[in-house]
Amino acid sequence: MLWALLVVGVALALDLVQRPAVPEPAQALTTGDPAIDVSRLQRVAQGDIPMPEGARAAHASSLLVMPPTQAAALTVFWFSGERESGPLVQIAASQLDRSTHTWSAPRVVANRHVLGVQLGYGVRRLGNPVAWLDAQGRMHLFVVATGWGGWAASRVLHLQQSSPQHTLESLAFEPVGVLPLSWLWNTSHLVRNAPLPLADGGMVLPVHFELGLKYPVVLRMDAQGHFMGMQRVSARTHLLQPTLLAQSPQQWLALMRDERPHGKVGAAVTSDGGRHWNDLPDLALDNPDASVGGMAMASGQLLLVHNSSLGSRARLDLSHSRDGQHWSLLATLANGAPLDEFSYPALAWADGSLWISYTVDRERLAWQQFAPPGDAAQKKMQGKTP
Amino acid sequence: MSLLAQIISTEAPSLPALALSTLWLHLGWAVVLAWLVAGVGRWTGVQRTVQWGLAAAIALWTCVPGPYAPGYWLGLAFQALSISLVVLCAWSFYRRYAPMPALPRKNPPDLPDRPASGVLVLAGIFLGWVLLLDAFAVFPVALYAWGFSPAVPVAILLALLLPWALRKGNGAAASGVPLVVFVMLAFVALRLPSGNAWDALLDPWLWLALHVIGLRRWILVRP
Repeated sequence: MLWALLVVGVALALDLVQRPAVPEPAQALTTGDPAIDVSRLQRVAQGDIPMPEGARAAHASSLLVMPPTQAAALTVFWFSGERESGPLVQIAASQLDRSTHTWSAPRVVANRHVLGVQLGYGVRRLGNPVAWLDAQGRMHLFVVATGWGGWAASRVLHLQQSSPQHTLESLAFEPVGVLPLSWLWNTSHLVRNAPLPLADGGMVLPVHFELGLKYPVVLRMDAQGHFMGMQRVSARTHLLQPTLLAQSPQQWLALMRDERPHGKVGAAVTSDGGRHWNDLPDLALDNPDASVGGMAMASGQLLLVHNSSLGSRARLDLSHSRDGQHWSLLATLANGAPLDEFSYPALAWADGSLWISYTVDRERLAWQQFAPPGDAAQKKMQGKTP
Repeated sequence: MSLLAQIISTEAPSLPALALSTLWLHLGWAVVLAWLVAGVGRWTGVQRTVQWGLAAAIALWTCVPGPYAPGYWLGLAFQALSISLVVLCAWSFYRRYAPMPALPRKNPPDLPDRPASGVLVLAGIFLGWVLLLDAFAVFPVALYAWGFSPAVPVAILLALLLPWALRKGNGAAASGVPLVVFVMLAFVALRLPSGNAWDALLDPWLWLALHVIGLRRWILVRP
């Protein structure tokens, strides 16, 4: 009896000594100047992000705000290749110069063959990348990497910056590992939307499961990017690709894509920093089974980019809200013919402006810049619109 | 933070380093493939040395890095195997090829002669179903996430060791208790294969194999 308890005690001690300390409850950060009224933002510039030579497909951009010491204000990552889910798809990146507001020529920063060698096992396809800057200023990429099968066989591959410099010419990544998220051969979780930054330097990464049914999950990372656990966001099984918006340090909204025909933007809320979530009624906003992207501002206002045309992704809107339930249209970012597609938005606040990138017809990426009225006039006079 | 809060917390997982998990992936598949190939060799009646040679060859091939080896593709499709399955295959392989005097069959050593007893087979099948359904969010709580908590290995060790200790070890070897205890201790020390205790205890391949074993036993024992 005594020796049995001794074995258990030794095992427990050995286990605990290897673990990090249990983190404090998560406290989210917001972005931007608290004095900014987002309802008055004006579009000041727009254009296309340069594509890699010969690439016929581009999708799922992720915007990363660079440290103020860097020449680049933003880095955008996306997957690029001959077609979505094609064997030649790689993760490409481009940087927005802070002074000229021009995008650099793109460069490939992750290739599945190289990753396969580094991991010791194969990666069949690459998909959505999501970028994050840790407390040391080191970039991390979370990339959808499939096993045997399509997107439903996806895993979330965690990469971290291995190059000392942030400049695009030298930017390189190495794998940290595949995040362990499921017992079933670690399928089928995907990442899509930007992480929610935390006051402790860590973040909360929204992901989702999509083998047959769909449900949203959040993952917590510490300030160095170490995995700190997972929580399911919704009891419903038709919601995916959550985007996280902090209404206060511990009250966050998750707004989600609805895979059902004639769906609405789904919603869930946490009041304890992501430890427990409750479903909310759907928003009034239509959702044609399309990814939404959101951002919470320091003023307490919320921004959401969403497709509002039922049955197609031909219209992409920017809306704002104060309570997360009632949304008002701020601008229509794109509106095309029914078969056109403007989708998978990403948002970032950098250099006093809102930057939005999105996919156009799965062939290229476009961007738009919005600024407060005073700044908008000044930025327009600079003639930066290509 | 109290010790109890630390024990039940799922928010401080410890994951293995990439190099170690990659090594385990290849080593685990090498052991299981070697056991399979040797089994096929024995079934087809080839010589014992040929069985052994084939097993060694497939094991070495699996450990070769790169896309021309099975480990690369098996890792792509199925990731790493559980400690339980690898230990079971290694043990079975050892019993098959070790010199007989070292392992008299009538006196089982620490690991069981019939490694998976009926109770453990049923428990493994049940656990696999629970984890599978959990992956599809059938339950209101996420059970897989509990595997990141220290509570799971501790609870498993307590559940196995206390009854064993109370019975003064009688019947323990045959029930497979030492195997599971070994697996949990190895997990606690090495965090393999993923940092989640459920992945160390049971993988989908072992779960499928337990169905076959359970069915076979049921057919054999039914009146």
